[in-house]
Amino acid sequence: MIKRGWWLLLLIIASLIAPAILSEFYLTVLCEALVMSLLALSFNLLFGYMGQLSFGQAAFYGLGGYAVAMLITKLQFNFWLSLLAGILLPSLIGLLVGYFCVRLRGIYFAILTLAFGQLIFFIVYKWHDFTGGDDGIQGVFPPGIMKNPIVYYYFILFIFLASAFILWRIIHSPFGQTIKSMRENTERTEFLGIHIARYQLITFVIAAAFAGLAGAIWVPFYRSVAPSYLMWIKSGEPVMAAILGGPNVFFGPILGMFIMTFFHAWVLGFTYFWPVIMGAMILTIIFLLPGGILGFAQEKLKERREKNEFGKGTTLKCF
Amino acid sequence: MFLKTEQITKDFGKLRAVNEVSLDIRKGDIHAIIGPNGAGKSTYFNLVTGYHQASAGKVLFKDQEITHLPAFKRCKLGITRSFQITSIYPKLTVYESVLMALLSHRKVTLKFFSSAKKFFKEEVWHILEDVGLAEQANVMGDSISHGDKKRLELAITLGTEPELLLLDEPTCGMSTEETETTMDLISKLSRERGITILFTEHDMSVVFGIAKRISVLHQGTLIADGSAQEVRASEEVQKVYLGGAA
Repeated sequence: MIKRGWWLLLLIIASLIAPAILSEFYLTVLCEALVMSLLALSFNLLFGYMGQLSFGQAAFYGLGGYAVAMLITKLQFNFWLSLLAGILLPSLIGLLVGYFCVRLRGIYFAILTLAFGQLIFFIVYKWHDFTGGDDGIQGVFPPGIMKNPIVYYYFILFIFLASAFILWRIIHSPFGQTIKSMRENTERTEFLGIHIARYQLITFVIAAAFAGLAGAIWVPFYRSVAPSYLMWIKSGEPVMAAILGGPNVFFGPILGMFIMTFFHAWVLGFTYFWPVIMGAMILTIIFLLPGGILGFAQEKLKERREKNEFGKGTTLKCF
Repeated sequence: MFLKTEQITKDFGKLRAVNEVSLDIRKGDIHAIIGPNGAGKSTYFNLVTGYHQASAGKVLFKDQEITHLPAFKRCKLGITRSFQITSIYPKLTVYESVLMALLSHRKVTLKFFSSAKKFFKEEVWHILEDVGLAEQANVMGDSISHGDKKRLELAITLGTEPELLLLDEPTCGMSTEETETTMDLISKLSRERGITILFTEHDMSVVFGIAKRISVLHQGTLIADGSAQEVRASEEVQKVYLGGAA
């Protein structure tokens, strides 16, 4: 635990002094990486821990963003209450969508979340009078001193760390143990007295809430929101991040998202062929490092540990 | 009456897998269901545990009708089962697997912020020691031997602290020696924890050695029910199943 703690502490210290070191451009990139990492963590609660692939997670991210943008620009709503609405609205829609999705598993679950995600996207996209359609909404300002990007960066950092901590606790709680068990063997878990659909629905709503929160804190920083935030392409980003970093390690999706976001920002400086490079990266990971970067690293560490512990780790399989 | 099925029937299309089986299981008994392959033993189990819905008839547990309850609710009432094809958690440790059963049974699975590992340490170790898996507590479920996997599933079912435990071929694929220790273990657990056990088995010597009562299914129909001697003496049983060898 102490061994694991030191690099975490180092990262937190680094993120605290980051504004003093980074240029304004890369500070913006860092903000985006943190927000998108929160989205990836929410997604991975479903994918890595419950074992269901959601392909519509961006819809909740976008809904969180739209709730904040519309309340602030149209109703001059209080910033903090808007943020709260940015969590509540996606949770509520998540409850509704989840009610249907949790009846299905595997590829059917993925397709249904994709379908619902696109449905929500099209409603926002087409409903021009209400949502601004493809124009999106501009001029979403945070209040007072939070207009300063450095102050807002610390706000994002705080929300990110607090959310990550809460998700970490959930994953290691009895509830987390239950969804992991469902992933490992749904039938066995049901026959231990667990109402599978109910636990899937709760997880779905938690994931929607954190995705919404990510959208809600991003939009006032970026000052605008657009329908593309809800689109399936956006939903693909947390999927790739989780696969890149490792869905079975808590920090996997964060690492994946940081690599993607920073690499993206850097590569765009000299080429437009970003998707090609990203595709090549994903392919490399899938073939060379199954389990993602952190998953692979963890596996190697474990092997070494087991070799050191004499006699342990021998496996005997017989049928 | 503890567990009672009244003319329970299951049709799969035109095939009648279980045909009007009425059976009483008494509290505290070790009760075996035997019959050749395809006799309907597993289907009967599935009707009692809620894996399948009955086409007709009733299942009563402690005088409460449970015929149409979903599986997880029957488990909450105290009915737990194992599967013929061992059903464990491949990527959870042996310890975590048993812990999961206890978390579910003791109704703490909706705790979101406390650490799962802090719960029920004593109970988990007690079960692991009882079934002889304590040394493998931190090994992944898919890294232990076949016989140990069977025992792990038994340990998981014990975690739900069942009143009625249904074991579908608990010694399937085990060596003679393993079979013997497993059956001894099952009868010990039944005695010490007061668990009623209903199990299916194809190995006759095993059944007659341990079961207090035996029911014989043949093509979905109950053809005999009674003590080992009674069942052995039944002409019909000898005709269809024992082939005169007993």
